[in-house]
Amino acid sequence: MRGSKSSRELMGDKLFYVIRIAILLSVIFLFVPSLNPTRISGLINRNLSLFTAGISYSTLTDDFGRAIKKGWVQESTLQLLYVSAMSICIGAATMGIGGCMTLGNLKLKRLSSLIAAIGGIFELVGLMGIYISYSRISLTTKPEKIEPQFQNGFWVILAVSAIVLLLSVIELLFLPKAQKEDKYSIDAKYQLFLMFMPFIALIAVFSYLPLLGWRYAFFDYKVGDTLSMEKFVGFKWFNELLKNPATVRDIVRVLKNTLAMSGLGIATSWLPMAFAIFLSEIKNVKFRRFVQVFTTVPNFISWVLVYAIAFCIFSTDGFVSSLLVNMGIWDQGVNLLMSGEHTWLKMLGWGLWKGIGWSAIIYIAAISGIDQQLYEAATVDGAGRFQRMWHITVPGLLPTFCVLLLMSVANILNNGMDQYLVFSNATNINSIMVLDLYVYKLGIGKGSIPLTTVIGMVKSIVSVTLLFAANGISKLIRGESII
Amino acid sequence: MAKTAQERADIKAEKRYEKKHRHKFRSNPGDIVFYIINYFIFGLFTLVCTFPFYYIFINTISDNDLVIKGTINFIPRGLHLDNYIALANVSDLSNAFIVSVGRTLIGTTLMVAASGFVGYLVTKQEMWGRKFWYRFLIITMYFNAGLIPWFLNMQMLGLTNTFLAYIIPGIVAPYNIILVKTYIESIPAELEESAALDGATYLTIFRKIIWPLSKPILATIAIFGAVGHWNSFTDSLILMQSAPELYTLQHRLYIYLNTASNLKALMESGGQVSDAVLKSAMSGKVIKYTISMVTVIPILLIYPFMQRYFEKGIMLGAVKG
Repeated sequence: MRGSKSSRELMGDKLFYVIRIAILLSVIFLFVPSLNPTRISGLINRNLSLFTAGISYSTLTDDFGRAIKKGWVQESTLQLLYVSAMSICIGAATMGIGGCMTLGNLKLKRLSSLIAAIGGIFELVGLMGIYISYSRISLTTKPEKIEPQFQNGFWVILAVSAIVLLLSVIELLFLPKAQKEDKYSIDAKYQLFLMFMPFIALIAVFSYLPLLGWRYAFFDYKVGDTLSMEKFVGFKWFNELLKNPATVRDIVRVLKNTLAMSGLGIATSWLPMAFAIFLSEIKNVKFRRFVQVFTTVPNFISWVLVYAIAFCIFSTDGFVSSLLVNMGIWDQGVNLLMSGEHTWLKMLGWGLWKGIGWSAIIYIAAISGIDQQLYEAATVDGAGRFQRMWHITVPGLLPTFCVLLLMSVANILNNGMDQYLVFSNATNINSIMVLDLYVYKLGIGKGSIPLTTVIGMVKSIVSVTLLFAANGISKLIRGESII
Repeated sequence: MAKTAQERADIKAEKRYEKKHRHKFRSNPGDIVFYIINYFIFGLFTLVCTFPFYYIFINTISDNDLVIKGTINFIPRGLHLDNYIALANVSDLSNAFIVSVGRTLIGTTLMVAASGFVGYLVTKQEMWGRKFWYRFLIITMYFNAGLIPWFLNMQMLGLTNTFLAYIIPGIVAPYNIILVKTYIESIPAELEESAALDGATYLTIFRKIIWPLSKPILATIAIFGAVGHWNSFTDSLILMQSAPELYTLQHRLYIYLNTASNLKALMESGGQVSDAVLKSAMSGKVIKYTISMVTVIPILLIYPFMQRYFEKGIMLGAVKG
């Protein structure tokens, strides 16, 4: 029955591409505040999207309390606006469902055109409602307070929904009738895709949409502002990063800390391997198991808890102080955490305390994969314990080590901020400030959005470049990629 | 399994041989020194990793007066549980506890369900644009826009100062999806094929075959996910700036550690303090220790049971890496 499609059906299929794109756009437009046609008054929040306007009456009318009380705006106008926004939302959702169904067979396609057309009607009705609210609100007695305005987004959304409606109707008339005995069905490949689609949307929204935030790097932006072209400053913030002496000094200091702490991490990255090698020399299985289990615990607690532990052990009334005071060695407790000395080494120490047992697991597993006959042969040849370690175990672990080393080199700028944030205090802030923490303090704390966005951008690009370089090296040396 | 007499004899002989050899190793003085040092160092490091937990714990259950004097260092004295009971009555703490438990349960459940389902979907070669969408997913592991764009994005989406901000962004976890996908690929394809021949839909196959068979890997990612949710701190710090009632336990702990909180400060900071707390005369030290313990106990409790899953998790990652 399927197989050969009539030429009319093929033509219709092409038209469906346009419909699908239009539907996708109208769904996306719901969430774009700058295209929100319901913002018919200056009292409505600039960052309000059509979707929010359609689901939350209270957000829409947040700032109208006084205007309604004084009679500048009739409440029914706002209610009409709200219902219109809701109608557009329903329309877009309906169109969305219709759009998904266009992937089905002929019978489903006819149904989907009908549904999309209904969605289009909903949208148009909603737009009409918005227009009526606008014309009512523009008759207000206090235009300087209410600031009636008409959004260009109105026309955009009107155009898109009109296209959907029109084309769907054409499809309905144009598509050949499906056979009566046909059933609604969708090809397996599209079924799978449709099931995956919600997750694609999540990924797009949470992982790709933030990239849109990179535009803040080119604007003079303060929290709460809206972006407009007057505030476009080009590469000003990039220059600031390179030329402003105060910023440059900060950046140099921060980079020094970042590279130093990452460097120390990399320089000690062989420790988990040594841990594993020496642990495997212990023949008592129970003891080995015991060590392994308990040295892994710190990996599973958060950095806040690590700090809590540091606090309980090293603060003024912590373990060390109270022990030494009770023994009469110290006169009074000392807060060892409040010192700016050796910050890098201390951070390295906490990192090792937390991570070494866990990182060793991978090497322990790799050791158990080394052929035992190698050891026996070496013993027969007279190799001692350390010779066996050095000439058999270490070479056996090197591939794993190299991969992890390359990964940590690629992550040299990303040492995370949790550890450094919790351990930072007035005395060590200069030597503990790493790039991630700096971005947090400057961006979230002081609201310096564009500059921190620039830093984030550069950091992301450097990281990805390093990762690809590391991958390239790995391919070159081992013939295997690491990502 | 019954062993023949010959096999039994072989094993016996082997054991005797091993014993003799071990004996030979022991007799070497260099080896003995090595063993002593090795055992000592590992013993010491294990102690360093565990003692802090023990120390904090005994300080929360010992007599508060002795704790303040700093005399409880190794042995608990004057055992009582009043501190825990008192803290349960501090409203912002019990609130934070509920938020943390809530996000851990809901967030983990959704993440595991989504990872299982998506992991199954991406094994299906026949999906439209599978390769592209799979890459679309994987790239996000290696690339992110940065903290500030992420924050502005969450703000734009209205996911600040709301509980949903803990849940929704974590639903799709690319790394876990890869783990599940690798695992599902190891399930014999015949099982699925026969079900498909019987007319089972993708959803039925997933529910009746794939989901039950991938329980081991789902358990593993569930545990990692739960630990991640429980430990997560920065999202509370950055996204909940004007919603203190949504702070996680980790965030509360951070705040308490950083304020010179004694009982007075606790009251001033808005926590409603009940009579029980007033009676228990908890000092700032005891409060901090007890909150730390409350935050760490769930991890320590699940840890022994989950140990094997933890190790399986890192090994699966290694296979991929």
